[in-house]
Amino acid sequence: CKKFLDVNTNPNSPDSAAPNLLLPASQAATGQIMGNFFQINGNIWAQYWTQNPTSSQYRTVDQYNPAATASDRAWNILYRGALVNADLITKSNDAGIAYTRGIAHLMKAYTLQVTTDAFGDVPVKEALQSELFRNPHYDAQSVVYDSVFYNIDRGLALMNASASASPGAQDLVFSGSVANWKAFANTLRLKAGLRLAYIDAVKAKAQVQAAYTAAAVTTGGVTTYSFLTVDASIKYLSTGGNENPLYNEMVGLNRVQNIVASTTAVAQFDANSDPRVAKFYDLLPVDATAKTDRSIAQGTYAAGANNGKTVSPPSPLVGGRASNSASATAPVKFISAAESWFLQAEAVARNWAPAGQVLATLYTNGVRASFTSVGLTAGDADTYLGVAGNVTQFVTPLTIGTEEDKIKSIITQKYFAMCGFQGFEAWTEWRRTGYPTFFVKSAASVIGGVRMPLRMLYPATESTTNTNYPGLKVIYAPVWWDTKHPLL
Amino acid sequence: QNRTVTGTVTAKDDGLPIPGATVKIKGTDIGVATDASGKFSLSAPDNAVLTISFVAYTPQEVSVAGKSVVNVTLTQNYQQLSEVVVTSQGIARERRSLGYSAPTISGDVLVQGGNASALTSLTGRIPGANITSTSNTPGSSTRIVFRGGTSVAGNNQALIVVDGVPVDNSSVTGGADSRSSVDFGNRANDIDPDDIESITPLLGPGAAALYGSRAANGAIQIVTKSGKKGKTTVSFNTSNVFSSILRLPEFQNEYGQGYINEFDANGVPDYGTDTQENWSWGRPFDGKPQAWGQAIDVGSGTPVKRIKNWEAQKNNVRDFFVGGFATDNNVNFSGGNDKSTFFMALNTLNSDGVYPGNQDVYNKYGVRFNGKTDFSDKFTAGISFNYNKISSRQVAGGQNDNSVFDMVLQTPRDIPLPQLKDLTNPYNAFGFTDYKGVVQANKYGYYGSYTLNPYFVLDKFSNDDELNRITGNVNLEYKPTTWLNVTDRLGIDTYSERRRVITPKYSFTPVDAVSNGSTQVSNGGYEIDQYGVTELNNDFMVTAKHSFSSDFKGSLLVGNNIRQRNTYTLIAQTNASAGLVVPNWYNLANSNGPVATGDSWTVRRIVGLYADLNLSYKNFLFLEATGRNDWSSTLPKANNSFFYPSVNTSFAFSELIGTNSILSSGKVRASWAQVGNDTDPYRLLTTFAKGTVTSNFGSTLFPFGNVAALQAGATIGNPNLKPEITTAMEIGTDLSFFDSRFGINFTYYEADSKNQILSVPIPNSTGYGAAIVNAGRVKNHGVELALTGTVVRSSNINVELFATYTQNRNIVMDLPDGVDQITIGGFGGMGIVAAKNRLNGQFYGITNQTDAQGRTIVSATTGIPLKTTVAQYLGSYNPKYQGSFGGSITFKRKLNVNFLFDTKQGGKMYSRTKDILAFVGVSKETGGVRYGQPFPNSVYISGGNTVVNTGANAVNYSKQDYFSALAPGQNIIDASYVKLRSAGISYTFAKSDFKSLPFNSVSVGVFGNNLFMWTPKSNAYIDPEINSGGATNEQGLDFTAQPSVRNYGFNVRVTF
Repeated sequence: CKKFLDVNTNPNSPDSAAPNLLLPASQAATGQIMGNFFQINGNIWAQYWTQNPTSSQYRTVDQYNPAATASDRAWNILYRGALVNADLITKSNDAGIAYTRGIAHLMKAYTLQVTTDAFGDVPVKEALQSELFRNPHYDAQSVVYDSVFYNIDRGLALMNASASASPGAQDLVFSGSVANWKAFANTLRLKAGLRLAYIDAVKAKAQVQAAYTAAAVTTGGVTTYSFLTVDASIKYLSTGGNENPLYNEMVGLNRVQNIVASTTAVAQFDANSDPRVAKFYDLLPVDATAKTDRSIAQGTYAAGANNGKTVSPPSPLVGGRASNSASATAPVKFISAAESWFLQAEAVARNWAPAGQVLATLYTNGVRASFTSVGLTAGDADTYLGVAGNVTQFVTPLTIGTEEDKIKSIITQKYFAMCGFQGFEAWTEWRRTGYPTFFVKSAASVIGGVRMPLRMLYPATESTTNTNYPGLKVIYAPVWWDTKHPLL
Repeated sequence: QNRTVTGTVTAKDDGLPIPGATVKIKGTDIGVATDASGKFSLSAPDNAVLTISFVAYTPQEVSVAGKSVVNVTLTQNYQQLSEVVVTSQGIARERRSLGYSAPTISGDVLVQGGNASALTSLTGRIPGANITSTSNTPGSSTRIVFRGGTSVAGNNQALIVVDGVPVDNSSVTGGADSRSSVDFGNRANDIDPDDIESITPLLGPGAAALYGSRAANGAIQIVTKSGKKGKTTVSFNTSNVFSSILRLPEFQNEYGQGYINEFDANGVPDYGTDTQENWSWGRPFDGKPQAWGQAIDVGSGTPVKRIKNWEAQKNNVRDFFVGGFATDNNVNFSGGNDKSTFFMALNTLNSDGVYPGNQDVYNKYGVRFNGKTDFSDKFTAGISFNYNKISSRQVAGGQNDNSVFDMVLQTPRDIPLPQLKDLTNPYNAFGFTDYKGVVQANKYGYYGSYTLNPYFVLDKFSNDDELNRITGNVNLEYKPTTWLNVTDRLGIDTYSERRRVITPKYSFTPVDAVSNGSTQVSNGGYEIDQYGVTELNNDFMVTAKHSFSSDFKGSLLVGNNIRQRNTYTLIAQTNASAGLVVPNWYNLANSNGPVATGDSWTVRRIVGLYADLNLSYKNFLFLEATGRNDWSSTLPKANNSFFYPSVNTSFAFSELIGTNSILSSGKVRASWAQVGNDTDPYRLLTTFAKGTVTSNFGSTLFPFGNVAALQAGATIGNPNLKPEITTAMEIGTDLSFFDSRFGINFTYYEADSKNQILSVPIPNSTGYGAAIVNAGRVKNHGVELALTGTVVRSSNINVELFATYTQNRNIVMDLPDGVDQITIGGFGGMGIVAAKNRLNGQFYGITNQTDAQGRTIVSATTGIPLKTTVAQYLGSYNPKYQGSFGGSITFKRKLNVNFLFDTKQGGKMYSRTKDILAFVGVSKETGGVRYGQPFPNSVYISGGNTVVNTGANAVNYSKQDYFSALAPGQNIIDASYVKLRSAGISYTFAKSDFKSLPFNSVSVGVFGNNLFMWTPKSNAYIDPEINSGGATNEQGLDFTAQPSVRNYGFNVRVTF
C-alpha cells in the first residue's frame, strides 16, 4: 500500500536546477525590465519619447499618473525573475562554478541598484528568504546601496578565483568573459558610488576610489584602469520570443506605434547639428527643412494641432519602430561603453580619480563611443564636438569651468548618448544631478504644480500581500539620494 | 405447486390502468411488469403473496390463495416514507430510515423542458442547490453547488456519481482567461437526459460520507435506465428545439456614430464625424441621407461612400443573430427474461446555435448499454457502458479580436449590421478587388477602424473541440447466504479531448486614408490543446444483515475503495509572439519561431476503508453510523491517513402514533458528519520551471537562441500539509398530510470547513508569488424548504403543485495570517475575492464616491463622479435566497401541462457588457440629454463644503466623458431574476387510439425552457445567469459572455 501511494513525485517540473541554467533566466529578467518597463517609462520621463497622438497605450506615463497596478509586473519580474534566480545561484553549493556565482552577485548588484533607483526603499535584508520571512520589511535606500556594494565585492572576489569553469554561452551578457565581468564590476561600482555623490560624498568618494584600485592594471610601469570599453548588453534575436523586449511588446500590441519623438530631445539634437538624431529616430519627414514637424512637445498627444499627426518614431536601432522587424535585434544595454567613459570623466571632474586621467580624453572617448555605437565614425564625433556652438556649450567648460560646469557638460553629453537605449539611467541621472537643464513639464501632467515623476509607484500586489508594506509613496516624492532635481 | 395468476393494476384516483407497475412474489426476486394496459401474468405458488408497487404509489400485498385473477388498485402517494432511495455507494434504502435530506427527481421530469443538459433541468427542483447555467445552449456549462460550497478557493461543485461510480466533471474553459473565454462546457453534461432513470442529490457531507473526500460538497447520484423483465420494448424519442436570444441589452436610439470634440463658449457641441468610429456619441438622428463607411473605388465615378438615412437601426443587434436549431434523437431497446435484463440506447444531438453560419455547432453521439444477469441464485453480474463522441465549435466571448459579440455590441446605432454580412462587398471586406481589377489584398473597406466586421471574425476565427469518452462499470454481486452480500464494482471514466484554436494572420490598412483609420493587424496563431483524464474506481463491499429480534434489526457494511486519477495536458501553439509565417495555413509547421508547448501529467491515488452500520427499531427508529479512513498519495506521508465519522438518525413518529386523517406520515431526522479532504498532486515541493519572462504584452522565452534556462517556480510547496476537514450537521423533518396530498420537507444545516488547503498570494519580494498553506475557514448555514400539494385529485384531472425555498449564508471566517482576502477570479479592474468576515465571492473594485446620504460626489470642475481611491467591497455573487414554483396538471392521464418558475434574489454580478455599451455610447443609459445637466443625486465639494449639485449651483457633466470611463464598480449589477424555467404540454395517446398500429404508446408534446425572464430595472443588459468562467469558481462575471438563449420545440415519443 505504501508503494501504491508513493506517486507524488512531480514529473512536470524539476525540484532542482543547475546554477548555469538559472543564470540566463535571471539575466533575461533584468533585460526585460531594462528593455521594456523601465525603457518605456525612462525614455518618456527622460523626454526622448512621448505618447503618439494616434494611439493611447502610454498616456498615463506622460500624465505622470500611472495606474495603481502599473508596477506590478515589473516588481514581479525583478524579484521573482531576476533577483531570486541570481540569489539561488549565489547560495549554490555546487563546486567549480565560482564564475557563475560571481556573475550572479554582479547581476544581483546591478538589479538591486535599478530596483532601488526606481522605487526607493525596497526589501533587501528579509527579501528572497521565503522560508524565514513571508512579509519582508522594506530597507532604507542607503542599506540597499550597501547591499549593492557588498554584492560587487563578492562578485569581484569570485571572478578573481582561478579555478572555475566558465558558464560560456549561458551568460547572455559576456559569454563568460572574466575580463569583461571584472570591468563590469568596476564600472558598476563607479556608477553606484557616483550616485551617492550629493547625499554621502564620503562614501561616494571611497567607492569610486575602491573602483579605481580594483581596476588598476600596471604593465611595464604604466597603470591603466579596466573599466568597460564595450557595452554590457543582451543582444536580442529575430526569433519570436527572443526579440528585443520593447519590440516584443509592440508585437503583442498588434504593432501599434505608441511612442514617438519628443521635442525636448530632438530640438537639442537639431540645435547641436547632431547626426545621431537620424540614428535614434526614423525621422519623418526626412526633409531637414521641416525639423519642427519631426516631433511633438512632451505630452501634447491630445493637442488639437497634433490630431492625426504622423510623428517620427524611434528607430529600429533602439528597438522602437513597431512596423520594422529590424527592431527585434536591438540590444538592451545594462551599462554602455559611452556611459563608462562619462562615469570616469565625472570621477576625474570630482578629483576622485587617480592622477594622470585626462578629463577631455575620457569625454571625447565617451562621445566617440556613442557615435560608433550607432554606426557613425569617431571622425563624425570629432566633427560634432568641433561645431562652434558645441565647443562653447560642451568642450570649453571641461577645461575652464567649475566642477559643476564640468559635471553639467558630462551629464548632458551622457544624456545624448543614452537616447533610446538607456532612458531609465538618463532619467535617473537627471534626478541625481538636475542635468540636462532643458526638461519641460509634460503637457499632459495631472499631478500639478512643479511636480515631476521622481520614482515609480510601489506595486499594488505588495500592498495587498505584504503586512510590512510601508504605504504608498507618491510619484513626485524624491528617493533618498535625490537632492538636486530641479522644480519645473 | 405453481399456477398462472393474471390481473390488472389500476390507479385508485382515476381508475386507469398503470403500465410498468412491478408485480413480485414476496420474498423472492421473481416478478413481472404490467403491460401498457396494466395487465400482468405470472406463475406463482398457491400460497404466494404478491407485492404490487409503482413509483409514487403505495405498494400493496395481495394473497393469491384461491384466486387466478388478481385485480389491484393502487393509491397514489407522493414521496412517501416507504419509497426507496438510492444513497451513498448506491445502497438502496427506504426514505423513512434516512437521517438527511435526499429528494429524488425522476427522469421524466428532467426531459419535460427539453433541455439537453440534465443538470440544468434540475434547476428549481432541489432545495439547497444553486444551479447556474451559462448560455443554456447544448454543450454549455452548468454549475451545481449545494449549500453554498465549503471551500474558499477550491472546487465547490457536488460530486457526480453515475450508477454508483464517481465520474469526472472537469470544466476547462477555452481561451487564455475569462477575458477571452470559450465555453466548452463541463463533463457532467455529457450524459443524455433520456438515459436517466432518476437523480438523487445527497446535499450534505453526512449523506455522502461513504463516497469519501470528494463528496465534501455533496453528491449528485444519477441512475441510468435498466431493462425490465418481460417483453422487449423499443422507444424512439425525438426532440426538435428552436432557440433565440433570451435577453439583449436595451439600446439608445437617439444618437449615431461620432463623438463630441469640444464645446464652444456657448456650450454647443462640435461633433466629430469620423465614419470609421465605433462610438455612438455623435449627432442626434435627423433622418436625412448621410454617407457612411469608407470611400471605396475613389475615381470610379460610382458613389464612393454608401448612403443611408441618419437614423437608428433599432434591431441591428437582434437581426445579426439567427434562429438556432437542435435536434435530439434517442432510440432505446430494453427488455429481459427471468435471468437477464438489458437496456441499450443510441443518442444523437445536433445543434447549430444563434450565430450566423456554422461557427457555433455542437454534435454529440452516444451509445449506452446496461445489462444485468443472474448466473445463479447467488451470483449476479452487471455491466454498464457508455460512449460519447462530441465534436463542437464554439464562438469566443470576451474582449479580444475573436469575440464576435464584442464587435456586434460596439456597432454604432446607425450602422445596419446585417448589411455587413456580404464579405465580398468591398465596403465590408478585408481584402478585395477594386473597380480597376487590381487586387487590394491588404486594404479593408469595412467601416470600423476599432473593431472587426463580426461576420469576418465568424468566418476566420474558430475554436474546435473533439472529445471521445467512455464511462462504465462492472458489478459483481455474490450472496453466499441470505444474510451476507459481497459486491465488487469497478468503474472507469476515460476521455481524451482535443481542441484547435485558429487565429488568422493579416495586416489590413484602411482604403480611405482621409480618415484617421487604424491598421488592423494580427500575427495569427494556431494552437492545439489536448486533455486526457482517466479515473478508475473500485469498491469492494461486504454487507451483513441480522435480525436481533423481530423489532430490532441491523446491517453492517464494510468496504474498500481504491481510486486512481490520471490526467494529461499537452498544449502546442505557434510562436506566442510572432505567430504564423504565412497566412491561412494552420499547422504547427507554420510557426514563426519556436513552437510553445505545455506538457503536464498527474497521477493521484486514494485508498479508503469504510464501514456503515445501520440499526432499526420497529419501523420508526433508525440509526446509521459511518466511518471512513482514507490514505492519499497527495499528502505528506506523515499526514496522509485521515479518518472521518458520521452519524444520522431518523424517527418516523407517524409509525408510532399511527396515521390519521390529517397526518399521513411524518418523521424527524438529524445528521452530523465530518469529511476529510486531500489536495491536488505535487503541492508538497517547490519546483523549478522553464525560463520564461512574462511581461504585460510579449514575453522573453527560452531557449534564447540555443541557450536553455530554468527558473524558480511561482509557488512554494508545503511538505507539512494536513487534510482539510469539513464538519456538518443538519436537522429536518418530512411531513405529509391529508392522505399524502400535501407534503413539507424542511432542513436546517450548518457546515464548517477548516484547515483549507489554499494557495495564498505572498509578496513577490519573497521571490515567489504564492505559498501552499493549511488555513482558512468557511462557514455555511441555511434552510431548505420544499412544499408539495395535490390540489385536485380526481378521475379526470390531477393538479400537482410544488415550491422550494433555499437560503444560504456562506461566510469566510478566517484566512491565513496576514491575509485579508484571496483572489478567486476577475481581472485587473474587478476582483472576485474571498474576504475575511464577508460573504464568499465578493466583488472588489473601484467605484464612484458617495457621501453618507448615498449621494454621488462629483468633481467641482467637470461634474463627473469622483472615483474611490481604493477598491470597495461591492457584494457577493451568491444569491441571498432562491425559490421555485412549479406544477403539473394532468387531464384523464392523457394531457399534461407543466410549468416551472424559479428565482434567485440578492446576488450581484459584474457586467462588462454594460461597460462596453457605455463606453461606445449605445446603451439606453447613455441616451437622453447628454450634456448640460448635473449628474443625478450628486454633490460636490467646494472650499471644504458639500454643495448639492442642482439648480444655480449645478456643475453639469458630459455623459460622453462619464460613460466612456466608468469605474469598474459601476458595472456591478443586481443579478436577481425570476424565470419561467420550463413549460410544456404533452399528450399521451391511449392504446385504444391506435389499435391497428404497432405502437405501445405514443406521446407528443411541445415544450420550452428558459422561456421568459424578469429582472430588476437596473439590469437592462443581460441574463444574469451568463458567465465567462463557465462552471469554475469564477462566478458572476460577464466579460462579454455569450448571450443565453430560450429554447422551444416539440417532441414525439413512441414505444413499440
